[in-house]
Amino acid sequence: MTPPDLPTVQRARLERLLAAQLQWGTWLASVVTVLGMLLARWEGAPGAAGGLSLRSVDVMTAGIALFLLLPVFRLISMLVVFLRQRDRPFVALTALVLTIIGLGVALGLHWPG
Amino acid sequence: MEAGSEGWLFAVALGTSALGGMLGMASGIFIVPVLVLFGGIDLYHAIAASIVSVIACSCGSAAPFLRSRLTNLRLAVVLEVATTLGALTGVFLVGILPISYLYLLFTAVLLVSAQQMLTRRREQVAALADRPQGSWADRLRLHSTHPDPPTGREVAYRVQRLPLGLLLMYGAGVISALLGIGSGVLKIPAMDTALRLPIKVSSATSNFMIGVTAAASGAAYFMRGDILPAIAAPVAVGSVVGSILGARILLRVSNEHLRLFFVVILVALAVAMGLMAFDIQLYRSP
Repeated sequence: MTPPDLPTVQRARLERLLAAQLQWGTWLASVVTVLGMLLARWEGAPGAAGGLSLRSVDVMTAGIALFLLLPVFRLISMLVVFLRQRDRPFVALTALVLTIIGLGVALGLHWPG
Repeated sequence: MEAGSEGWLFAVALGTSALGGMLGMASGIFIVPVLVLFGGIDLYHAIAASIVSVIACSCGSAAPFLRSRLTNLRLAVVLEVATTLGALTGVFLVGILPISYLYLLFTAVLLVSAQQMLTRRREQVAALADRPQGSWADRLRLHSTHPDPPTGREVAYRVQRLPLGLLLMYGAGVISALLGIGSGVLKIPAMDTALRLPIKVSSATSNFMIGVTAAASGAAYFMRGDILPAIAAPVAVGSVVGSILGARILLRVSNEHLRLFFVVILVALAVAMGLMAFDIQLYRSP
């Protein structure tokens, strides 16, 4: 007996959605990070930012933050799809994983010492 | 090129990630030792930078796996509960364990990786009906199918021994956060031996999960200010470029020679990292 699975069409749609999301997300995060690195060259020595409102370090940090957010966005997409399918156990599991990552943020913010 | 400079970091990340990609390994296991041993970067900052590149590589290489329908998305979410909990444990431990323990753990992981590289992975897929129904894997509908390349037919497989798989995945999460690696060392036995997945499915699914696992520890390191942009930025971008190159080269180089080459490098890095635990540094960066 073949075990029951998500209907093939639904599954394929989710796979394509996540593939596109992760691919474009990686490009975006890479481009932002490279922009920050180029900006750093342009600024020259650190601290010589002059009248720039956006420092190269901030742009690089934004790029890194985007990398860190890619898996989070991927989980949110899956959460939405599971919600639409009314797949309660998987809504709960996906929300749990997101909560654990949120705990990681809290742990980093309130690190003792 | 000066060790530790932006160009050097970029080149190191590109090289290690391309090499890792050729054999389907995460590059973190090479990046951290190289940053520490040759770049003169302290272990904590190397781990934090490597976590970002681990995420970048996982996300950057997920698309082809997803499009070829090899990733088991439902199973990934279930196992991610264990890996992210493990990652949080790792973040806790990294602040408590003496640094020499981390070096020793890294040495052990490098040696086990070398050993795994020598032994070939074997298909351990169970026949469809050899387990009683009613397990958690049944209830959560984790069993799935993957396309068989020559025929294009869908091949069904069953997920076995989920509790053991979850336990190993928790351990993989701990090690991933502690050492800044994807920790295939524990994921491969978990996927192949405990869950009994087809090898292609287990590679795709474990790669898919690595990003989420690393996001849990990465978020903590980011908020704590451990991720230094000057190190993490060139390493992340270099890894993305390297993993694209590595996937291309995969088809063109003899696997047997590459394997042995990797075993030698892993053992050499293991020795050097082991000595660091006793404060002996073989190479002093200028």
